[in-house]
Amino acid sequence: MITFENIDLIFDDKKIFSDFSLEIAQGEKVVFLGKSGLGKSSLFALLLGFVRPQRGRVLFDGGPVDEHTVWNVRQKISFVDQDVSIGDHKVSEWFAFVAEIKANQSLDFSLDKIKELMDFFELSRDLLNKDISDLSGGERQRVAIIVSVMLKRDVFLLDEITSALDKNLKKKAADFYIGRKDWTVVSISHDAVWLDNPHVKVFDLEKKAWKQ
Amino acid sequence: METIDIPIYSLLLVFLMLVVPVMLSRIYRLGLSKPLLSSAARMTIQLVLIGVFLKYLFLWNNAIINFLWLTVMILVAVFSAIRGLTMKPGKILVPVFISFALATLTVILYINMFIIRLDYVFDARYLIVLGGMLLGNSLRGNIVGIDTFYKSLRKDAKKYQFVLSLGASHQEATRPYMKESIRLALKPTIASMATIGIVALPGMMTGVILGGASPEVAIKYQIMIMISIVVSTIISVLLTIVMTSRVCFSKYGILSD
Repeated sequence: MITFENIDLIFDDKKIFSDFSLEIAQGEKVVFLGKSGLGKSSLFALLLGFVRPQRGRVLFDGGPVDEHTVWNVRQKISFVDQDVSIGDHKVSEWFAFVAEIKANQSLDFSLDKIKELMDFFELSRDLLNKDISDLSGGERQRVAIIVSVMLKRDVFLLDEITSALDKNLKKKAADFYIGRKDWTVVSISHDAVWLDNPHVKVFDLEKKAWKQ
Repeated sequence: METIDIPIYSLLLVFLMLVVPVMLSRIYRLGLSKPLLSSAARMTIQLVLIGVFLKYLFLWNNAIINFLWLTVMILVAVFSAIRGLTMKPGKILVPVFISFALATLTVILYINMFIIRLDYVFDARYLIVLGGMLLGNSLRGNIVGIDTFYKSLRKDAKKYQFVLSLGASHQEATRPYMKESIRLALKPTIASMATIGIVALPGMMTGVILGGASPEVAIKYQIMIMISIVVSTIISVLLTIVMTSRVCFSKYGILSD
C-alpha cells in the first residue's frame, strides 16, 4: 500500500534519511516510534508530497507519488496533524469548510452524522458553536479525529492524535482505528494504547527496523 | 482661465518657508534639518528633470516614446513592489511586470478610448499622466496584497498543507489567502474613497481646478480616477498572485523558497 524505496532526504541541511526503505501493506496498523528529529513526520510529508526526497521513490497503492498523482493520493489519505491550528473559526464552520472542498462534496457531512460521532467521542454538542481556539487540546484532537473519519478514506496518517486525551478516550480512539480490518493506519505516538496493542506493528525510527 | 505661473524668484520664496522648520529644529533639537533639506533637494532635482522630460514628451507626442516611458514607469513600480518580498526577484520580475502592465494599460486605454474619447489614445498628456496616477496610487495596495499573500502562506504552511491533504486543489487551498490579500490591499483605497472631498481635496481634483477647469469637470475626473485606481489595483493584485503562483509553487502545490 505504502512503499518508501531507497529514500535520501536532507531537510534544513540535516540528513534525515539515507537509503531508507520501508513497506506497509494494506490493512496494516503501524506505529512510528522514536525521538523527535528522526523523521517520523517527514515520512508523512513525503507520502503527501509536501517534501521531495533527494533520491528514491515513494509509492502509494502501487504507483509512484509524483506531481501528477499526488493530488489524487491526497484525496485517498486521511491525515491528522496535531500541530495544525486550523484557524479562528467556529467548529461548525470548520466542518463546513472541509465539506465544501470539491473532492469531498459527495460525502455525508450532515449534522446528524457529525453529532453521532461527537457523541461517540464524548464531545458535548454545544462545542459546535465554540471557537476552535477556545477548545482544549483533547477536544481539538477529537474534532480532528471526527473530520478524518468523515472523509471516508481508508488510509490514515495520524500524528500524535491521542496525546492529550484521557486514558479511556485514548483507548477508545486507538481501538476505533485499529479495529477496522480494511483500514491502513500509520500512527506517530508514544501512547501505550498503540504500542502495546497486539495488532499493531511498531517501527523504530532510531534503528530503522521493525520492533520484534 | 489660465493657471497663474510662478516666477522663478517667487519659487525661491517657497524655499524660504523651509527656514521655519530649520529654525524650530535648531531650537528644539529635533534633528530635522538634514533629512528635510536633503529630501527637499532631491525632490526639486527630480521634478526639474521630469519637468524638462515631460515638456519634450508632450512636444514630440510620439506613441512609441510614450509607451517606452510608460514601460519605464511600470518597471520602476515593479521593482519597488518586489524589493521587500522574500522571493528571488529574478524569478518573479516577469510575471509581476506582465500583471502590472496589463492592469495599468487596459484601464488607461479604456479611459482614453471610451470615457475621455481621445482622438489620439496614446496622447502623452493622458497616457503618461494618468498612467503615473494609477501606478502611484495602486502601488501601495499592490505591495500589501502580494506581501500578505506570500507571508501568510508561509506562516500558515502547516495549515495550508493540511488543507491540501483534505483533497483541496491548489486554487481551493490558496483562495482564503487571496481573499484576505485583496481585502487588505484595497482597505486604504476604499476608506479614502468614502471620505474624499470632505477631509481632503485630492491631488487630481486640485490639479484640474488649478489648471483652469470648473469644479464640475474636476469632480468628474476625480470620480474617474478613483474608480480606475480601485479597478486596476484589484486586477493587478489578482493577476500578480495568479502569475507569480506559477513560478513560486512547485507542481506539488508547495511554496518553494
